[in-house]
Amino acid sequence: MSATVGNVKFKPGDYKSTLNPVWCPGCGDFGVLNALYRAMSQLEIEPWNTVILSGIGCSSRLPGYVNTYGFNGVHGRALTLATGVKVARPELTVIAVGGDGDGLAIGGNHLIHTARRNLDVTYILMDNEIYGLTKGQVAPTTPTGDKTKSTFWGNPEPAVDPCELAISTGATWVGRGFSGDVKLTTQLIADAISHNGFSFLNVMSPCVTWRGDDQFKALKEILAYVPEDHDRSDRREAMKYTREKGVLTTGVLYEVKGPSFNDRLEEMKQQAMAGRSEPTTREILATFFPKF
Amino acid sequence: MAKKLMKGSEAIGEAAVQAGCRLFFGYPITPQNEIPEYMSLRLPQVGGCFVQAESEVAASNMLYGAAGTGERVMTSSSSPGISLMSEAASYLAGAELPVVIVNIVRAGPGLGGILPSQGDYFQATRGMGHGDFRLLVLAPWSVQEAADLVQDAFDLADFYRNPVMVLGDGLIGQMMEPVEFSSDRQPIKELQPKTWAATGCPGDRPTNIINSLFLDPEELERHNWKLKAKYDAMTRDEIRSASYAADDDYDVLIVAYGTVARVCSTAIDELRERGVRVAMVRPITLFPYPYQAIRDAALRASSVLVVELSTGQMIEDVRLALEGARPIHFHSRVGGMLVTPDEVIEKVECILAGGAAEVSHG
Ligand SMILES: Cc1ncc(C[n+]2csc(CCOP(=O)(O)OP(=O)(O)O)c2C)c(N)n1
Ligand code: SF4
Repeated sequence: MSATVGNVKFKPGDYKSTLNPVWCPGCGDFGVLNALYRAMSQLEIEPWNTVILSGIGCSSRLPGYVNTYGFNGVHGRALTLATGVKVARPELTVIAVGGDGDGLAIGGNHLIHTARRNLDVTYILMDNEIYGLTKGQVAPTTPTGDKTKSTFWGNPEPAVDPCELAISTGATWVGRGFSGDVKLTTQLIADAISHNGFSFLNVMSPCVTWRGDDQFKALKEILAYVPEDHDRSDRREAMKYTREKGVLTTGVLYEVKGPSFNDRLEEMKQQAMAGRSEPTTREILATFFPKF
Repeated sequence: MAKKLMKGSEAIGEAAVQAGCRLFFGYPITPQNEIPEYMSLRLPQVGGCFVQAESEVAASNMLYGAAGTGERVMTSSSSPGISLMSEAASYLAGAELPVVIVNIVRAGPGLGGILPSQGDYFQATRGMGHGDFRLLVLAPWSVQEAADLVQDAFDLADFYRNPVMVLGDGLIGQMMEPVEFSSDRQPIKELQPKTWAATGCPGDRPTNIINSLFLDPEELERHNWKLKAKYDAMTRDEIRSASYAADDDYDVLIVAYGTVARVCSTAIDELRERGVRVAMVRPITLFPYPYQAIRDAALRASSVLVVELSTGQMIEDVRLALEGARPIHFHSRVGGMLVTPDEVIEKVECILAGGAAEVSHG
């Protein structure tokens, strides 16, 4: 680990782990990883005080490529793992990552409830509109009509806009990036991590292997940055920039401030502990374990 | 500390608190709601947190995340909820994380009913999920024992870095009995610092990765054997059983666990008063199973009676223990119906009169 303690700033490369990514050459996830390194460097995040959690999928390999603490968890459960970590250790920076299948299909319920609780974690959803790891089946974000390995006759289902879902279920910071625009994605990740509460970042991240080279171009054509004068604290306004046919808006779509789940739990704890003298469970534990 | 009259579910919750459990994740299901409810009141008072998750799948995976930080963590549920937790149980075992899971078993299959059952014996003792793993399973027969075993469960989970299940039923949860918590309880195992945990650290050691994925078959094989070595160590060091009325000679040996053993003890008291020679051995750990203790006790009897609230699950372990050395008889009620002392008495008398058919499992 080349990152050093003290005043020395971390360079993006200092966050690299010893593992080399096994993503296909040209996979959009490389852009997300690079943006994450840069955002962490920009925020001077200490790797040893950071946990990155994922589910299962190509994108879920990401924690292994960053020298923070990491979990390569259970398919669809990145956010539940993150809840466990963040409730246990609110002082850590907690980031969950994963794919659209992981986060919206099998893990969809957890997205709704983590957003609703306003848990203070950042969730980066790498959206390739397909199941990559299992080799090209339809995902909840695959456009209607598209042929995939599991929709021979075309996808009969409408796609969900993850940003719309996140805004409507209570996320307090919602943005959209594009892995082909590392500068934008870096800024968005940094903003998301700095936000107190549930920050949800949908990064369009092409799968060259199962969506073809065209996906990158097709996405580029429909992406548009959110207008300068957009009032991001207005939920109705924000909803205007959720997925419209033909346009995919990038940037920060929604941001409001308020107490996070962790703030509320802390407040409750203070209230419940007031005037009591019994040992806390941390103190009990400290008597059992020599160094913990 | 003085004895206090407590409901089983509260005693389980309080035992966890006293053992240093800081976090509880759960989802409502009858008949164990009193445990999470108690924790929601109690944990914030001791600097901990209670979270009601959106499902048992969520709760158990929250547990997975929290266990990874090295905190003492726990969940409880009842049969259908435990099935949903089998996913996380497998990952927890694979990633070698310590957690305590309480299963207040209800009758099944499916939604079944909410009354006591021992129908989850196979699920608990045969791994509870996919892959080749074991839970350490503890089965209390009283409220005090439930409290003691919950505390021990945390030490055992930490020591073996493995999920530990406390298996009870609605009777244990609802029963009111006096309970005593020792004020200076020490761990039952020598515990090592949790150097593997995601605790945050000032950069003085490499960060940890928690993982259950091993794509290289040779590496996974090594991992599987490493886990097996832990299960072997449990089998060597953690087997617990208790005997009842076995100091005197006996003709019939009853094998039963949990609250059913309580019922059997009442029956044994009555039978002994009438001069009928009967005793009981009661497994306390269901995995590792006390095969030897049961075999030794059974060899002193002329026949064995297994009593359980299932159509025949633990009896398979008794057969493994005896390997045909003694005839095995069986008595059970299922669906939430309870075995009564009178039924046990009748069965024992029938066996002694030569009228009860030996159970054959084909
Ligand atoms: C319970 C369970 N069901 C199915 C799988 C197989 N599986 C692994 S990843 C995945 C989906 C991958 O797609 P996505 O989440 O979009 O991530 P990507 O690979 O595209 O980055 C599936 C279905 C699994 N690991 N576990
Ligand atoms: S299959 Fe697709 S998502 Fe997976 S690594 Fe290759 S390009 Fe990336």
